[in-house]
Amino acid sequence: MSLIVDVASGAVRGGTSILYAGLGETVSERSGVINLGTEGCMLCGALGAYAVAAETGSPWWGVLAGAIAGALLALIHAVLVVSRGANQFASGLTILFLALGLTSLYGGDYVKAPIHGLDPINIPFLSDLPALGAILFQQDALTYLSFFAAPALWWLLHRTRAGLLLRTAGEGAEVLVVHGYRTATVRYAAITAGGALAGIGGAHLSIAYTQSWFENMIVGRGFIAVALVIFASWQPMRVMAGAYLFGACLALSPALQARGYSINQFALDVLPFLVTLLVLAFLGRRTLLSAPAELKRVFDGSTSTA
Amino acid sequence: MTAEVLIREPEVLVPRRPPALLTAALRWAAALLGAIVVFGAVLITKGANPLTVFVDAWRETFMTAPSLQDVIVKAGPFALAALAAVVPARAGLVNVGGEGQVLIGAVAAGGTALSLDQHVPGGVVMVCMVVAGMAAGAAWAGLAAALRLTVKVNEAVSTLLLNYVALDVLLFLIYQPWKDPNGSGQPASRPLAEGAQLPQLPGSTIHIGVLLTVLSAAGVWVVLTRSMWGFKLAAVGGNQEAARRAGFPVGRLLLSAMLVGGALAGLGGVIHFAGVEHQLRPGMVSNIGYVGFLASWLARHKPLAVLAASFVFAGLTVAGDSLQIDAGLPAATSNILTGLVLVAVLGWASKGSRA
Repeated sequence: MSLIVDVASGAVRGGTSILYAGLGETVSERSGVINLGTEGCMLCGALGAYAVAAETGSPWWGVLAGAIAGALLALIHAVLVVSRGANQFASGLTILFLALGLTSLYGGDYVKAPIHGLDPINIPFLSDLPALGAILFQQDALTYLSFFAAPALWWLLHRTRAGLLLRTAGEGAEVLVVHGYRTATVRYAAITAGGALAGIGGAHLSIAYTQSWFENMIVGRGFIAVALVIFASWQPMRVMAGAYLFGACLALSPALQARGYSINQFALDVLPFLVTLLVLAFLGRRTLLSAPAELKRVFDGSTSTA
Repeated sequence: MTAEVLIREPEVLVPRRPPALLTAALRWAAALLGAIVVFGAVLITKGANPLTVFVDAWRETFMTAPSLQDVIVKAGPFALAALAAVVPARAGLVNVGGEGQVLIGAVAAGGTALSLDQHVPGGVVMVCMVVAGMAAGAAWAGLAAALRLTVKVNEAVSTLLLNYVALDVLLFLIYQPWKDPNGSGQPASRPLAEGAQLPQLPGSTIHIGVLLTVLSAAGVWVVLTRSMWGFKLAAVGGNQEAARRAGFPVGRLLLSAMLVGGALAGLGGVIHFAGVEHQLRPGMVSNIGYVGFLASWLARHKPLAVLAASFVFAGLTVAGDSLQIDAGLPAATSNILTGLVLVAVLGWASKGSRA
């Protein structure tokens, strides 16, 4: 029983960074642009947040800096893809390399820097609930915020004018043009906002989850976020569920080890990636039906946008 | 339905004029220069003098024989990983899984070596390693192709995820079953028997894997431009629907393109293992596949240009080491220049010929 609670609370804590990145990727992909560089945006966000938190002593300035760092990197992707018509996959990996290099260059000074991170806050009364308390109400502030982020994004996408423009950019760009909007502007906004959310995801990892910075600390979470969005059929609430599924995969290994099970760690490390592949395989055909039309073109290989 | 998106400009009807070529060359030069200038500015923010850094890095990378040989040796796996992206790209597929395919090729070569190199002559081990590595790489890429063909999972996403699976396979094996009991305690497999290590050209560190790489690139060029298979791949890549209506076996062509690509990346893993590393260890394949993917874009998916692009990126990698030694900057700093070169090329050099 306590194993389940451990894994579940670890799932929420560990899944939060993937949740933010996944929501960011949802925004980007809904506008018709896939960002494989989400991994890089998370890296920049993680370092930006950690560095600013260390310099200012305030984790919230750190979160803001992480969002800005992720957005700036994503902006390069936006310029290449939207304005210069570059291939989306190549451009995404390109910004990942920029992020790898930049965070390695500027991150060295912060490897052991002390910070005031975001510590878990127990919500009065609720945190005392059996099981649920430990899972949901003994988390850090950024995690609490993320509980509202997915519903908020759903509302934004489906109930606001901005959301409608965003979805239209992804479904039929020519409709926007007919109505006098510029697709490019919408996509720039979507990609940059997506990068900012990924940056917050990275920030959660560095200043809340691990409270440390080390080179290449994202280790594939950004790529998982990209895959997650696809099998969540671009629905924010499903992204949330998926993110916690991965969080659970990540939490399983330490929870088992703490109980003295001797399992080769890498057999467990591979779980999130295997689970993603399996879910994609089972849901692949069905989810693709709900893919934004412009994104489907990218997936089908005709990446040169008109 | 997608036909209108896929129509390409009929290249034959638009003759290339010399002025266009000249402006293209100028655009490339300007793009690369821009990348170097931006990188210089980044270096200044860290208190390094870009001019000294560039001069030192240039001298230590390309002007001494050992480091130049190092560049050539490093370029081999990069080029094979790049070819692993080039062949599928011809059919319109995006193989971002070079990293995993190189890894799994190295693992297969390592496993083959562990079980054979004490029992049979070195030459036989080498042949077996090449076969096993190529088969493993092909299988790894084939998995992604199968997912695309049967359940329509986008191959860029699945190959990326498989990279991490391959890494965990390697780590799993060398932390337990294949760990060298006589080693230093570091997780690594037993070193490859000397007779089974790829022979080097006399008086140099360049091993015959480099030769295999050049032959592979030439082979890919011939097959893509001169064979029926290459023609059909290009047809599928150009307009899948038209290719299907022309009666081409589209599914089989897509699968074969991925298999060949994976096999080439697997070969990259083999020569990296048997020519350079000689044992499996964590971090042995750091980013070879990703750099290869970017090299294929730098080369605009042309098999022979891939060799040059890989040489450039190998040079940047080796220069990264000199950055670390001379300027005290982390070796990964050179990734910034790699990224900037690609930004320049994707954004400003190859306009008008997007693939």
